[in-house]
Amino acid sequence: MTDDRDVLRDVWFGRIPTCFTLSQDEITEREAEPYYLLLPRVSYLMLVTDKAKKHFQKVMRQEDVGEMWFEYEGLPLKWHYPIGLLFDLHASNTALPWNIIVHFKNFPETELLHCLTKDAVEAHFMSCIKEADALKHKSQVINEMQKKDHKQLWMGLQNDKFDQFWAINRKLMEYPTDEGGFRYVPFRIYQPLNERPFIQKLFRPISGDGQPHNLGDLLKEMFPAAVTPEDMEKQYQVVIHGIEPMLETPLQWLSEHLSYPDNFLHISIIPLPRD
Amino acid sequence: MADAENDRGPSAEGDAEARSPGGSAAPPDSSAAPVAEEAQADVKKKINVLLKAVGDTPMMKQKKWTVERVRTIQGLSQFIKKFLQVEATEQLFIYVNQTFAPPPDQDVGTLYECFGSDGKLVLHYCKSHAWG
Repeated sequence: MTDDRDVLRDVWFGRIPTCFTLSQDEITEREAEPYYLLLPRVSYLMLVTDKAKKHFQKVMRQEDVGEMWFEYEGLPLKWHYPIGLLFDLHASNTALPWNIIVHFKNFPETELLHCLTKDAVEAHFMSCIKEADALKHKSQVINEMQKKDHKQLWMGLQNDKFDQFWAINRKLMEYPTDEGGFRYVPFRIYQPLNERPFIQKLFRPISGDGQPHNLGDLLKEMFPAAVTPEDMEKQYQVVIHGIEPMLETPLQWLSEHLSYPDNFLHISIIPLPRD
Repeated sequence: MADAENDRGPSAEGDAEARSPGGSAAPPDSSAAPVAEEAQADVKKKINVLLKAVGDTPMMKQKKWTVERVRTIQGLSQFIKKFLQVEATEQLFIYVNQTFAPPPDQDVGTLYECFGSDGKLVLHYCKSHAWG
């Protein structure tokens, strides 16, 4: 279906205008100008910020440059979360550009994972894909693929090549015709400022009696407060890729079209501000 | 992301009572805010973990452990390293289903929910990349 493929493209090419500013704490030889970038929603901070890094390093002495890390409004940003998720979770309803502070020292050991090379990003990305397939297909599809196919998924993401990525990823979106959908849907539900990293449980896209589940069904099970009864005031926004999909959207369709390249549906539940 | 529990680590099977301070079975609840009964019980419950060594990584003498649901993979990794007397700076990879390595901040409770079987979560650990 042409429309559905357009959705895949829209998701892949989503961008967030971002302004990177060097932290006041950093020692510079001269003033650092802010650096502007359009960040791909589906990628990871450590994959797409080489130019920003070089820009700031130009005004610093080599010995003052430690491991780079990012912060938004005092919160260290986890590089192993996709960029779009970080934005939806922490900066959804703020004015653009997204203002991120760049640090090169005082790495927050207890809050962030180290990311010394792009290999770390690749390892994490591939692990997520494998975990997703364990849920969808008992790992059968991912295990049947050759190493070069796995590499193609990574290269497609790294080089922003939609066709290269989806040539392989489409196989991970297939399911036996008599099943109606995946075995379980890979999803994670996040809330800003929560102690638990995320909610992830087993949930079937098709119920026992063959009825397709929708987003509302998933939320009723995992986060009932996000499904507001008709006569009550809405308390939460349920955001995926910067939009609030209708609760009637079939979960199988969401999984196939709105998952991130890591094959997970990363769902942000944001409390609406109280007046 | 910091681990909330104290450093006494996962309890050995059958040893849970003995290792808790004051001999009580459950840690005192310090939270003043009212929490639904069910949610409180969920967070306090422990799950059974079976640890298996891969390749030439040293085996743990004790393989079965009960671990708090909120224990992270990173916390578990640190515990295994201490137990095996592996340097804290050395890498230790933990795998589920002999297929994927969960992110270090994921909690074992979630992994047990999704990938546990026969009442336990089987985790393989290795000092090098075992399954890519």
